[in-house]
Amino acid sequence: MTAADIGLTAPAGDLPAKPRWILAGLLTGPALYILIMAIVPAFLMVQLSLAHREVGGLWSPGFELTQYRQLATPLFARIMGFSLLLALTGAAICVSLAFPAAYFITRMRRRAQVSWLVFLLGSLSLSEVLIVFAFQVLLSTSGTLAGALSAVGLLAPGASLYPNFPAVLTCLVYLLLPYVILFFYPALSQLDPEVEQAAATMGASRVSTFIGVVLPMMRGQILTGVLLVVIFTFGAYLTPLVLGRPPQWTIAIHINNAAMGAGNLPLAAAYAVAVVAFMAALLAVTRLLSRRREAEA
Amino acid sequence: MSVNPGAILRRGFLALLALFLAAPLIVVASVSFNATRRMSFPPTAFSLRWYGEFFGDHAWMASLERSLTIAGLAALTAVLVALPITYAIWRYQAKAAAFLAGIGGALFLIPGVVAALMLSAFWGVTGHVGRLENVVLSHAIVLLGIPLSLLMVGFRTIDQAQVEAAYTMGARDSDAFRMVVRPAMTPYILCAFVFVFVLSINEYLIAYMVAGFTVQTLPIKIFANMRQGYEPTMCVAAVIFMVLGFSAFALMSKVADLPRLMGRTRPLED
Repeated sequence: MTAADIGLTAPAGDLPAKPRWILAGLLTGPALYILIMAIVPAFLMVQLSLAHREVGGLWSPGFELTQYRQLATPLFARIMGFSLLLALTGAAICVSLAFPAAYFITRMRRRAQVSWLVFLLGSLSLSEVLIVFAFQVLLSTSGTLAGALSAVGLLAPGASLYPNFPAVLTCLVYLLLPYVILFFYPALSQLDPEVEQAAATMGASRVSTFIGVVLPMMRGQILTGVLLVVIFTFGAYLTPLVLGRPPQWTIAIHINNAAMGAGNLPLAAAYAVAVVAFMAALLAVTRLLSRRREAEA
Repeated sequence: MSVNPGAILRRGFLALLALFLAAPLIVVASVSFNATRRMSFPPTAFSLRWYGEFFGDHAWMASLERSLTIAGLAALTAVLVALPITYAIWRYQAKAAAFLAGIGGALFLIPGVVAALMLSAFWGVTGHVGRLENVVLSHAIVLLGIPLSLLMVGFRTIDQAQVEAAYTMGARDSDAFRMVVRPAMTPYILCAFVFVFVLSINEYLIAYMVAGFTVQTLPIKIFANMRQGYEPTMCVAAVIFMVLGFSAFALMSKVADLPRLMGRTRPLED
């Protein structure tokens, strides 16, 4: 992702020539901070993944592929495969709910729109700890949902609705929906109403306008939305830990276990490097796909 | 009010969506007012007992205070780092500043657990472990993308013509800053601060991996309690998060144009 993608390019204008010392004064502090807190840790993680593991949770600098060899196992492939399956299922649900929701919200009056934005931002910011806890309360044996389901005979009395795959998936969708809706919001609010009006005057119904005109225009956005869900899902730790069983543990839990539990920081780093490489590859594919589609359109 | 089937479908869809998003919050909030220790929903009898217990408990209060301190300092750091970067982009179109902003944006896209691991390894190597400032600096860097993009939206709203008029009238940079830039940017700075504050106070994984054993923030304490079983005071803590978050964004919608802040540039009628 470049600066242009998140809207950080400067507007063109003829401002006076920049005095170097002013820029140096402005940017030295931030540059040092970013260097120390972002670039150094990133390099450190790569170095760590190649380091030599010592007994007792220690490591010494080195250049060996021991950790990466551990990645070439069926176990790691299975974890990554499951994480991707969870992420793509979640993405399909999130995007197909969030896209129409964002579309409707952008067409509301200001007051309704602002209320929805406050609601979405508020729920987006809620701690994953809190949401997982709320789902635990909601799905637990003594909770309402289980009670209601067993009252109508859909669930054995005393049975719990978690831990299992649907619980993990539902909670992830819950966590991600506000993000994805707000991600679609700018692009959909920029959409020219005249395009839709033109389609309508040519006799297209609102639904067919939406499917035939709006959706194809937003292909790139939709693909990026999917990518967002994938990134978030790969990073999610608490949801699969609390609402899932070990087969539903995503890569994040294994990274955390290796680092904090087993004291194998080099292995955790190798996992993390592999995840980042995988994300970068997905980003490249997404870019390529959306560009090709735009060229076709 | 239209009564065509499309509108009914649309409203039904949005209502169900709102219900889905609100349901867990409603459950937790109402359980927090329950008089019994057992977790039961719907609540049997109304009571403020657990609120009294929460606010009278030193450990909960200490966690709350710690979380508020971390969030305040992290938000301040992130805004103070983002402000010169976005100003340099807007005022001088500095490539170096755009590059720094690019890194800030990219960090926001790293999976949470990877960022947490990177930063915990970093603090481990420095030997400066288990401190509050570790969490502050780590939160500020990971959330830097937020003030960067919100402040950039703010700078774009400033009328370039107005700035140039100020210069033609002989204003120096400091005058232009005081007369045009500062008043225009104040709401955006406030929003960026609030946004980072709210996300920092809610963040679990980075805080835990960076200093979790010694610096127990509110989310870390809730999670630690969760592992030991249910306790009604946890619901009170959860309600505090909700109240904080929703009122922060409600406040934001009062001081700034929220649709614009979230990326709408097309004018929106009232």
